[in-house]
Amino acid sequence: MKLLEFEAKKIFSGYGIPVPKAACIRRPGEIPSVLPEIGGAVVLKAQVDVGGRGKSGGILIADAGTAEETARELFARTIKGVPVEEILVEERLPIEREYYLSISVDRSSKQPIILFADAGGVDIETAARERPDAVRKATVTPLLREVPPFLLRELVGGAPRGIGQIINRLYRVFLEKDALLAEINPLVTTPSGLYAADAKLIIDDNALARQGISVNRDLTEREQEAEKYGFSYVELDGTIGVIGNGAGLTMSTLDLIEFYSGKAANFLDVGGGADQERVMHAVRLVASMPSVKVIVVNLLGGITRCDDVARGIVDAGVPQQVFVRLAGTNEEEGKRLLAGHGYTMFESMDLAVRAAVEVSQ
Amino acid sequence: MIYGDRDLGVIVQGATGKQGVFHIALMNEYARVVGGRGVVAGVTPGKGGQEAGGVPVYGSVQEALREHDATASVLFVPAAAACDSIMEAAHAGIELIVAITEHIPVHDTMKSIAYATLCGCEVIGPNCPGILSPGECKLGIMPAHLFSRGNVGVVSRSGTLTYEVVDELSRAGIGQSTVVGIGGDPVIGQTFADVLERFETDPQTEAVVVIGEVGGNLEEEGIRSTDMPVVAYIAGVSAPPEKRMGHAGAIIEGGEGDARSKVRRLAAMGVPIASRPSEIPGLVRELL
Repeated sequence: MKLLEFEAKKIFSGYGIPVPKAACIRRPGEIPSVLPEIGGAVVLKAQVDVGGRGKSGGILIADAGTAEETARELFARTIKGVPVEEILVEERLPIEREYYLSISVDRSSKQPIILFADAGGVDIETAARERPDAVRKATVTPLLREVPPFLLRELVGGAPRGIGQIINRLYRVFLEKDALLAEINPLVTTPSGLYAADAKLIIDDNALARQGISVNRDLTEREQEAEKYGFSYVELDGTIGVIGNGAGLTMSTLDLIEFYSGKAANFLDVGGGADQERVMHAVRLVASMPSVKVIVVNLLGGITRCDDVARGIVDAGVPQQVFVRLAGTNEEEGKRLLAGHGYTMFESMDLAVRAAVEVSQ
Repeated sequence: MIYGDRDLGVIVQGATGKQGVFHIALMNEYARVVGGRGVVAGVTPGKGGQEAGGVPVYGSVQEALREHDATASVLFVPAAAACDSIMEAAHAGIELIVAITEHIPVHDTMKSIAYATLCGCEVIGPNCPGILSPGECKLGIMPAHLFSRGNVGVVSRSGTLTYEVVDELSRAGIGQSTVVGIGGDPVIGQTFADVLERFETDPQTEAVVVIGEVGGNLEEEGIRSTDMPVVAYIAGVSAPPEKRMGHAGAIIEGGEGDARSKVRRLAAMGVPIASRPSEIPGLVRELL
């Protein structure tokens, strides 16, 4: 789950990483009460979870006299389709230099990886391509709770020494908050020292419970509903609803829809144990998305009982046509049950998907 | 037969849970059919002295290994206990851990794999269906009736999609040497490169099917590192960016790891690529 900038900064600050003086407001009218603390020269930053926020008009500069009016203007905007509900009012820093710092999970080495670059405020992938020597990387064994000094020296190079301490503090945030990404971009130097001018923190969805986070805000309502049943569910923008067991098979079903020139509206992975009740809930959930015109069910498993699945589909009783591919035990019984209720069962996923795409068009 | 044969002794951690009991029985049914040793003991802390799926249960891996000869462990413990269980098994001298458990926090996975590596122990998974070498041994939850013995290896990040491909291969008369599900998480123990390296030294395996998906670049890394004839299938060409496609590791991040660019890179290496599972047997046959 992605945290917003002000939430990430609050956490970073709690670990001793300096952040600019700031306050989060929900109405322009709050400006006069927060300005005395922050000072006159401010930056107003929309708290929206979109990439390229600055370029999309989500960050505005103001002074004491213009701050309230500027806040009103920013609240009235939508940033890449997202309405602005909160604004971070922040002191404008006298920036000398900008750096990039992040810690993320490196799939190749199976370890945390630290990236430091003396080119901040930019897209790090672009920076790495254009000036590979500007980006320094180090992986750290997850068995250590801190970054060893020799690695800090390698990473920081000729940049201000204080950055090493910030790297270590960010590393603690990364470990203790179960982060997939902890990023400061830019990390800036000013006459009064180093500051995290922006902050990004993504928490591992599999660790939300132990981090005390009860609701994953990144999910839509229907996605949250799906999570309650232990389904993985994702919404897309086509017209075919997809149910499968196992993420790979479900993805493969989506690809097959595209192969036959159809478009999927959503997909739901029922996971292990596709019994009658779970299948019923799955079919109803997928069908409840208004854009779903037809549904493909593609279930394969050694222990999946096709008759149970068939009963679940029949129980769901959704108005859309359902195209079913089932392989498992009691296949014949399942086929008979489905046929008795006007549903068709197909021998292969290719056939089921092709039939569904035809009807969807 | 790249991780073990019918003589492999296996313990199950998380033996007394519903999944543990069920799959101990299935694994041992397979062992009986092929004349293998199968699961010799179960482990669940605090439940020593009980029985699960027909095998004795011990309170720790060390206790189980005092009474039984085993070098592999299959893990069914809950996500919150997985990190500790992996480290326990590695510490006790287990050489191969197959972690079926899903939803393990990635920091736990990184830590336990690092610890296992220090102990000289290999981890397969987590969030994987395990390994099956037809006619030799089964470690995990793969449905054995779909498999047939032969000389094609399969390595995959997926579970049911692997069964789909194995089923297609078997129906086409193409048997498998070993099928390995390496898991759908972003961080996993054995990667494509590790498994392909083992296939290279396996006299039984003549070609390998690599089943990948969106997220990361372990498929390219693995295939680049091997001389093995390979057919690849990549799931998720229709996946939108920044959406987690069911598997924790199946996500296109920062513009990286999308299926189309993976396919492009693999094609540039001269790897035959199936655009759907049903094309795989035909492409494999051309390599044999």
